[in-house]
This record gives sequence, C-alpha cells and structure tokens, in this order.
Amino acid sequence: MTMELSTGGLSRRDYTASFLGLGSFIAFLLVIEALIRLGLLNRFIIPPPSEIIASFGRLFLEENIVHRFFFTAGECLIAGVMVTICGIGIGVVMQRFNLLQRACETWVAAFASAPLVLTYPLFMVIFGRNAWTIIMMGFLSALPPVILKTIEGISGTRKVLVNVGRSFNLTATQQFWKILFPAALPTIFVGIRLGLIFALINVVGTEFLINFGGLGQLINDLAERYDLAGTYAAICFVILVSVLFFMALEKAERWLRPVN
Amino acid sequence: MVTTGQLRQAAAASSGMSPVTLLRITIILAVLAAWEFLAHSGWLYRDVVPSLLSIGGALVRLLSDPNYYFNLGVTAAEIAAALAIGGSAGLAVGLLLGGNRFLSRAFEPYLYYLGPTPKIIFFPIMIMWFGVGPESKVALGTLSCFFPMALNVAAGMRQIDKVLIRVGRSFGANTRQMVLKIYLPAMRHPIINGIRLGFGFALIGTLLAETKLSNKGIGFLIIQTYSIFDMPGMYAMLIVLFVLAIGANALIGKLGGLDSIKRN
Amino acid sequence: MPSSAPSDAILVADDIVVQFDTPEGPITAVDNVSLKVRPGEFLSIIGPSGCGKSTLFNVIGGLLGNYQGAVNVAGETISGPHKSIGMVFQEESTFPWRTVTDNVAFPLELVGMPKRERIERARHFIKLVGLDGFENRYPGELSGGMRQRVSLARTLASEPKILLMDEPFAALDEQTRLLLGDKVLQIQQQLKQTTLLITHNITEAVQMSDRILLMTYRPGKLKRIVDIDLPRPRTSEIVGSEAFGRYVAQIWNDLREEANRGMRDEEKNALHPGDRTL
Repeated sequence: MTMELSTGGLSRRDYTASFLGLGSFIAFLLVIEALIRLGLLNRFIIPPPSEIIASFGRLFLEENIVHRFFFTAGECLIAGVMVTICGIGIGVVMQRFNLLQRACETWVAAFASAPLVLTYPLFMVIFGRNAWTIIMMGFLSALPPVILKTIEGISGTRKVLVNVGRSFNLTATQQFWKILFPAALPTIFVGIRLGLIFALINVVGTEFLINFGGLGQLINDLAERYDLAGTYAAICFVILVSVLFFMALEKAERWLRPVN
Repeated sequence: MVTTGQLRQAAAASSGMSPVTLLRITIILAVLAAWEFLAHSGWLYRDVVPSLLSIGGALVRLLSDPNYYFNLGVTAAEIAAALAIGGSAGLAVGLLLGGNRFLSRAFEPYLYYLGPTPKIIFFPIMIMWFGVGPESKVALGTLSCFFPMALNVAAGMRQIDKVLIRVGRSFGANTRQMVLKIYLPAMRHPIINGIRLGFGFALIGTLLAETKLSNKGIGFLIIQTYSIFDMPGMYAMLIVLFVLAIGANALIGKLGGLDSIKRN
Repeated sequence: MPSSAPSDAILVADDIVVQFDTPEGPITAVDNVSLKVRPGEFLSIIGPSGCGKSTLFNVIGGLLGNYQGAVNVAGETISGPHKSIGMVFQEESTFPWRTVTDNVAFPLELVGMPKRERIERARHFIKLVGLDGFENRYPGELSGGMRQRVSLARTLASEPKILLMDEPFAALDEQTRLLLGDKVLQIQQQLKQTTLLITHNITEAVQMSDRILLMTYRPGKLKRIVDIDLPRPRTSEIVGSEAFGRYVAQIWNDLREEANRGMRDEEKNALHPGDRTL
C-alpha cells in the first residue's frame, strides 16, 4: 500500500492541506504547553513540549545518542544483510521446487502473522542479554515477507517473457538469471523494504525490552531514571529516525523502479 | 499438459495421500528428530533444547493448570479491549480521512509514516498515564492496532466503486444510512483486513508490554519461566501462544469471508 | 486444396492435430492442418478468434509439445523451439530492465558474441526497424508500437530462417498498425525473410502476404488457400487499390461464416450460469 502523491506539481489545495496538517500539530503542542503552564495538566505526567525540545541537547551531549544511533543502525544492518541473503535464497529454492513451495508457503505466511518477537526470552537464554539476541529478533521477524515476496516475484513473471526465453531455447539456469530473477527484482525489493521496516521495529523494541543496545536501551534507561522530558525526547528521536528510514526506503524503491 | 497432472493425481490417490501432505509430514518428522538429537547431544547448555518428552510434559501441565487459563483470560481481555478501542477509533478516523480528499492530504501522511514505527517504546509513557495495571497494556495495544485499521479503512474508502455512492445519493440516503448501508458493506474486505492486522499488532503490543512490566497475563508467565529457567515451560507456552495467534488470525480471515475474495 | 504446391519448402507442417482436455470433455483446437512455406515467402494464417491459430503458432514455435503430426524445418523434425525459427509474440515481450540495445542484443549474448560486436550488430537491427536514436532508452520510455519494434528487432537479430509472428500488432491502433505493417513489409522484402504471420486482420494479411491460409472456426481446419497476386515490392498504398479490395471482400466472404459460428458459440457458453471461474 503506497501513498500516491499527486503527480505533476502540487496544487494550492495540497499546500493548504499540508499547512493544515502541520499547523494542527503545532497548535496541539502549543495547547499542551499552555495547559501545563496553567496547571491543568500534571507536568509530572506530561512534560511541557518546551522542556522536551530542550532535552534534545542533553541527549546529544550527555547521553551519547549519536553513538547509540550507530549501534542500533549496525544491528539493523547485520539483520538486514542476513535477511536479504537468507530470505531471497530460501525464496528462490522454494519457488524452484514446486512441491516444496506448495507444502511450505502457507507455513511461511502463517509465521508472517505470528508474534515472532515474543520468542525474545528464548533467545536471551541462548545468546544472553546482548546484541545477537537483538539481531536475531530483527532477522526472524523480517524473514517471512522477504521469502514470500521473492516467491511471488519469480512466480509472477509474465508468461510471455518466459516464452521468449523458451523460444530462444535457454537452459534452466539461463532462464533463471536472465529472465526470471531480473523480472522479479521489483517485487523482491518490496519484500526487502517490508523486511527492513520490521527489522528496525523489532531491533529497537528488543533493545528496549532487554535493556541493552543503542536507542531502545536509552529510552528504557531514561524512563527508569524518571527523566520524563528526556524519555519523551528520546522517543521522539527514535520515531523520527524510523520515519526517515521508511522515507529513504520508499525513495530507493521508486528509484529502482523508474518505469512502472 | 493436463495429462501429466492427471497422472500425478492418480499416483497420489493410489497412495492415499497427496504429495504435499507427504512432504509436510516428512519435514515435521525430520525437524522433530533433529530436535531430539540436539536435545540429547549435550552440545548446548543444559536445557536450552529440552527433549520433546519434557516439552510434552510441560504442555500437559500447562493446559491443565487453572492459573494458566486465568492469565490467558487476562491477556485475552486486554487484547479484546485494545482491539475494540483502537479498532473503532481507527475505523472512525479511516472513514473520515477516506471520505474527504482534503483532510486525507492534511493528516493521512502522518498516519502513513508514523504507522511503521516501534510502539513498545511508548510503554513508559503509558505507565505514567495509566499506571502499572492492565490499563497500560490495553493502551499500548490500542496504539498498536489503531494505525493499520485507520490506514486500511481510509484506503478502502477510496477504492469503493464511485457508482455505488451515486446510487445511494440518488435515493436520498442521509449520512448515517450511507455509512451503514453503503460504505461499510462495500468495504468489508479492507475492514476485515484491518482487523486482522490490528489484531496481530495488538497481540504483540500487549504481550510485549506484559513481559516488560506486569504481574498477570501470558507475557508475564513467559518472562517468569525465563527468570526461573523453566525451559520446557517456556517452550510449551510459546507453542500454545503461536497456535492461538495463528489460529485466531485464520479465524478472523474466515469469518470475514476473505476466501470469497478469490471469486470476485 | 493448395492452389500452388511449393516444391522447395523450408517449413513443412504435416497433419497437425491438437486436442485439449476441458471440464466439458476433449476439444480439438487444430484438426489435421498441413502447410508448406517456401523460402522468402510471406505466408499469413487468418481465421476468427477460436480457430486455433495461436495454438498452431505455439506448435510451430515448439512451445507446445502435445500434438499429433510433425513440423519440419529445412528437413529436420522439430522437438522444441528450433533455432531457425524466430518468434514474435502478441503481448508486450521486451525486457523492461534492459535498454533497447541490450534487448536486441539478447540472442547475440546467448551465442557468446563479444560485446563490441554485439552492440554493433544490435545497432544495425535497431536502425532497420527505424528506432535509431533510442538505443539507450528503456522500453518503459517507449510507446507500444515502438516496443513491438524492439521485440521484432530482437528476433531479427538472431537471423532466423523463418520469422513466426502471432498477431504482433493486435494491441496497436489502426494507423500505427498500417505504418508498422509497412515497415515489416519493407524489412521482409529487403531481407527476403521467410515469414509466417498469424492474424485475424484481413487488411493486414492481404497487404503483406504472398499467400493466405484461411482457417475454420474450432475445430480449426484449413478452409482455403488464397494466392495474393498483388505486385511486389509493395507499400501500404496498395490498401487503396481495386485488386486489394477484391481480395479483402473475397476473404471476408469466406470468413464471415466462420466468424458467425464463433459468435454463436460464445453466446451459447455465456448462457450457462454457475460456471464462474476466476
């Protein structure tokens, strides 16, 4: 489900709408600020937005948020590389052997809807309270969409392209590398995009839960120290990072698929 | 073309089982055998891979323990509440945004980009606002399932065949009638999909929150087995959880008549 | 019955019978069709929808193996896609991830031609179909007619003895069709390319062919062979001539009956409720 932006320039209505959206958000923050200062909202439950914004400086200077960001990013990168290699590999093998695909594809789809991240205590037993548990959680939750999209992409190659290959008497290997796989790449990338999103969500989430790692651990830390403004600020930072990451992936996908 | 398929079907029929089922059984047996081998090999630390027998025993103990069902009820109630609140909020917001192009352009991008973000990190806030009881878990579950519901419903609204709306208007239906008799029935598939996704996310959000800070619920029980190193117990609980989660997902799909999508 | 029997045929199809199993029982798509194609000639096979001509295309192209009878290319019986037969398909068949040049060079790549030579050869065929200047574009940037030209150039680059085309212009509008037909005609006359064209468009067939084979509606049999005695070399201007009109009228006369049978059959099938498939 992609967001369809209006092509061919933004109309004045679009600018007005974006303005309304942004304006509402800012107005909301101002209202919260006012309510807190007036004492109508308890500042020990919701810190004033001004204080939250002020905390950002602390996050960068004292809490080493940049270093933590790179730690989390590193975990995501490892999980991402693992899931790309394994996911595409498994998907290719499953698609190649029709019986295997028919037997196992519904299993993979079932795991896509299962709460895989709930197995983190199990992985804590196996790997301990460290980065590998976190990476495994990112990896496992990202695996099903990559596998499924790989199968879908290869199977969904237009029949006429397969026939072109057959009309040139391509061997099975040639058929795969020259026709099936390139034709499947756009769909495979959709799967990788989905996988990377899940990986990020589960990496940060697991960091928070097991109190180890980069950004997720920071939030947990600040919360346990009752640093309210800091906690809110850190959460905002993580959300911002997620959103930017998601946008970057969308841009990458559009770049890879210039003609659709 | 068709003849080879008929041959294969004939062969399978004579052996009494389709080749797919045969392969599935083989794979399951192979995995179980490998597991048991690993359990007795002594390569891994004591109980990390417990024997199938001990897991089976733990399963039996679990399913006959009234305390387990109590906690299951707590978690189920939390998820139901989260789905009810988050689902209806998502439905309402989705209907609003889907029906109005301007509002959609103003606010939907926020939902779209804030959706795929980790929600568990909001748990400290939920605790501050709602306390350490089930309310904070419900709050997190609500937050988790709101987004997929709202986005699916909004998209579903836009995909309704415009002519159906014109028909309703031409008969002079008021807003309430339009919503109940035209919009909602026309959108049953996106709505069911939204519920299915929402359920999945509410389940995960609620359970993770329970593992973090709770004294009731399945999540709490799982983390308890971790802290006392009751591995067979943990495996048993995870197995039951997965069976229930996958089953519920399939059930929602069936109830929503999603199979009939293929016919349309 | 064939009015002129070519002696030195490069392609011979002997008594082709193709049957399919359907839920309603076996149906015969192609019923004892035989044909011979002379080197350098342009032969069209024309018939109403449902006459089995696309099935015949797949049989001759070697993509369909389940038939009775034999297809011989230059004396060899085929058992799969023969290297002397080049196929052009009805649907969009360019590779969207390759540039025009890389699309056209595809068959040359397969035989291991070195890169520089490949690109030069490809350029030649790109020029032949009139797409010079578009070598580095992607198919997505081209129109439908241009993409079909790329597919044609790709097949021509493999220098097949026989060019086999299945309604390559079906998805294009009438004017583009006429112009592309012109182009194909020019190329065919220039290369003296033996061509077998499957089409349902009578104008197109008469415009380009030396001979036309008419097929009946299912089960597809050979109804008649028409020699087109219009002068060569031809261009699309021939469409306006009197002789052209007479050929078209004659062929339509023959085909009308078959087309009618096809339509009545479809109406009969539509009246069967409860038969909904995907």
